[in-house]
Amino acid sequence: MGPSAEYRAESAAGPASAGDVAADGGQAVAVPPVIALNGIGKSFPGVRALDRVSFDVRAGEVHALLGENGAGKSTLIKIISGVHRPDEGELAVDGRTVWFDNPQEAQRAGIATIYQELLLFPDLSVAENIFLGHPPRGRLKGIDWRAMRQQARDLLGSLAIHDLDVEATVGSLSVGNRQRVEIAKALSQNARVLIMDEPTAALTEHDVERLFSIVRMLRERGVAIIYISHRLEEVFLLADRVTVLRDGGHVATKPVSETGHVALISMMVGRRIDAMFPKLPATLGDPVLEVRNLRRPPVTNGVSLTVRAGEIVGLAGLVGSGRSELAQAIFGITPAEGGEILIDGKTTAIKSPGRAKALGIAYVPEDRGTQGLVRPMSLAQNVSMAVLNRLFRGAFINGRTEAALAERSVDQFSIRTSGVDQIVSKLSGGNQQKVVLGKWLAAQPKLLIMDEPTRGIDVGAKSEIHRLMSELAQQGLAILMISSELPEVLGMSDRILVMREGRIVAGFARDAASQEAIAAAMMAGSSKGEPADAPLPMAVGATP
Amino acid sequence: MAETNMGPATRSAATGRRRFQFGHEALLLVLLVVSLSVLATQSDVFLTTANLLNQGRLMTEVAIVALPMTMIIVTGGIDLSVGSMLGLSAIVLGYSWQNLGLPLGVACVVAVLTGTAAGFFNGLLVTRTKVPPLIATLATLALFRGLAEGISEARSVRGYPDWFFRLGQGEVLGVPSQLWILLVAIVIAWIVLARTTFGRSLYAIGHNEVAARFSGIAVDRCKLAIYTASGFASGLAGLIFVSRVSTTRSDMGTGLELDVIAAVVLGGTSIFGGVGTIVGTVLGFVLIQLLKNGLALTGVTSDATIVVIGTVLIGSILLTNFIGRRHRGDG
Repeated sequence: MGPSAEYRAESAAGPASAGDVAADGGQAVAVPPVIALNGIGKSFPGVRALDRVSFDVRAGEVHALLGENGAGKSTLIKIISGVHRPDEGELAVDGRTVWFDNPQEAQRAGIATIYQELLLFPDLSVAENIFLGHPPRGRLKGIDWRAMRQQARDLLGSLAIHDLDVEATVGSLSVGNRQRVEIAKALSQNARVLIMDEPTAALTEHDVERLFSIVRMLRERGVAIIYISHRLEEVFLLADRVTVLRDGGHVATKPVSETGHVALISMMVGRRIDAMFPKLPATLGDPVLEVRNLRRPPVTNGVSLTVRAGEIVGLAGLVGSGRSELAQAIFGITPAEGGEILIDGKTTAIKSPGRAKALGIAYVPEDRGTQGLVRPMSLAQNVSMAVLNRLFRGAFINGRTEAALAERSVDQFSIRTSGVDQIVSKLSGGNQQKVVLGKWLAAQPKLLIMDEPTRGIDVGAKSEIHRLMSELAQQGLAILMISSELPEVLGMSDRILVMREGRIVAGFARDAASQEAIAAAMMAGSSKGEPADAPLPMAVGATP
Repeated sequence: MAETNMGPATRSAATGRRRFQFGHEALLLVLLVVSLSVLATQSDVFLTTANLLNQGRLMTEVAIVALPMTMIIVTGGIDLSVGSMLGLSAIVLGYSWQNLGLPLGVACVVAVLTGTAAGFFNGLLVTRTKVPPLIATLATLALFRGLAEGISEARSVRGYPDWFFRLGQGEVLGVPSQLWILLVAIVIAWIVLARTTFGRSLYAIGHNEVAARFSGIAVDRCKLAIYTASGFASGLAGLIFVSRVSTTRSDMGTGLELDVIAAVVLGGTSIFGGVGTIVGTVLGFVLIQLLKNGLALTGVTSDATIVVIGTVLIGSILLTNFIGRRHRGDG
């Protein structure tokens, strides 16, 4: 089959109305935008990824790109950066129509992309990474190492980064610093357009602020920035204009000053979301999970907590505070070395995930790609994976039973897929997360442990998952939710526990909790800290 | 069976994958038919029932061991020690019958149990010590062979009673006895891998062991089971081998692992795990055996035969990758 068989540029260019909208949105400028997309369309088998989308970005502007997962953001940036070729429409740089055959050509045109997963070489130094592929040459075409280091220092200095050793290996840097290296690398190639895909997803608050100041600095210098994020606050803090995509189509492009949170969310999901976290009241039953002084040093150092039927307990804490490790100790992946776990009031020894599963515990892990799903396998095969032995008692797999189970999950969670035979890796992040949920709810657990249940998924899917959690709690499921998003913790939890250094250091009832109080407990004395914050855990245990 | 349908590829990736699998098996079948017809024109003996049945007899040991090997490779593992386990079982058979004076029937059971225990040991090594299977079974390859040589003290055992040869040299309903055993083994292995929750677990482990573990699949128990099965199959193959050649020597089964792995890989099982079928493996060992025999009958030297088999192996993998890329490529 030949490449791009259905090339229909002519027929599409005319009636594209989206282009007009884009022109209305901003003020008329004489200088053409650095990048302009006109009526871009792209299809993959079974999916219309982009449908005649128009989009532009001007020099010295931050243009935010919003949309749920699967809305077409990734496809759009891949077309701009030369990874994909559009089926229809045209792409112009500085007003001239161009045609990128590969990412290198886009790079030569001054377009740099910083992906979520940073593409650096951990064993090479900062300077080597920045100048990889285009090092300063000395005589005899050899690499001029001294010039390279100096230029790297200058480049970082121009971004007001003075605390980074250009000779350090990238592997030893924090995520925030690696990202700065990536930005410096883009600038070393004279990027005029910088595409940033969820740059703050893995950053700490402090790093986010530094990133913002760098982005603002670049904007001052006239770099055009395409900024993709799920966090609306960032859009309002940073962006000049915002474009919303939905289901591959262009919804609107507006100056940020002319829009608001509610308007953007309703544009993204196509309907209004009244409450982001529809937590419904649920009656609490008996304790389902009781953990007493659980230990697995050095990450779990004596944790006690209780989760009741119908209750959602939020577990807050900084990255590395031992929350996931606690969950994995309860689930038997790394069995506890001391302490007690009681399920329904009975002491149990949980030495393997299989045992935990038999006791009615389900665990939706933090990393759905490596822990939650077998991505090369089909949706149906993933959904049945935790219930194989229950679903097929005679050990023989019945394809029809399996498909029926998967169909139920697809319906219940409105998973967007071409069918239950779809390979899971082809689904969007939000839909993949729904598959993980479907897989564990098929096991009909009594206790559901959710580790970052909505990380990296779009607003619509997030809201659906929250609603679902709420409904499940109403039906009597006990839920232990680990989350790094404080609004989520506050919005969803009946009770909030805060972990630090492998211990629970504070507990709050829903009404008594505030972002400030939780954040304070998360960080208090995080340097060394006295081991026994005695009074606080007591308060936790007492909270019914 | 038809060739893969190369029509409009608009269906889901899952069917694409299934077709890709089917594509490899269809390819092997075509190869099989082609080599059969070419070789048949070169020799009068080749395409006779007697010859083909005899080839089946010669193939059985490799074939029986290749079945659990398919499962092991599907999980992303490998078992290099199968030849040594075969040798060890053979020696234990001869030793316990001749030197320990056990009845031959009991000695047979002890021999197969020895192989099974050796496989179990491999399984423990792989699951408990987290040593990569390649290294672990490379070590036991040497270990078991050393044991076999130590026990036998380089003496061979002969003089088995006639009834014992029925297994390796006799016939049932006009077909070599061991082919019936192989047939049963194939059916069992096919059902286990393709139709049971256990087989599904093996694929899941091969694709993503962490996710399989996080799904509550007893990963270690699954692995222990297949390495043990590999030992059992090697022990059984040892028994058949001794019965076929009427004698026991400590170097029996040397190099068996290469023939077995070649058959499995030729059958389309991915050495990276997650992909492979018993049907593919069956086609793999049949094709290799027929090529060996056909070429020998045609007067090709055994060195040249190995070259041909190597070429077929590489060619089939390249071709399958090409087809696979075509399928993915239009996606």
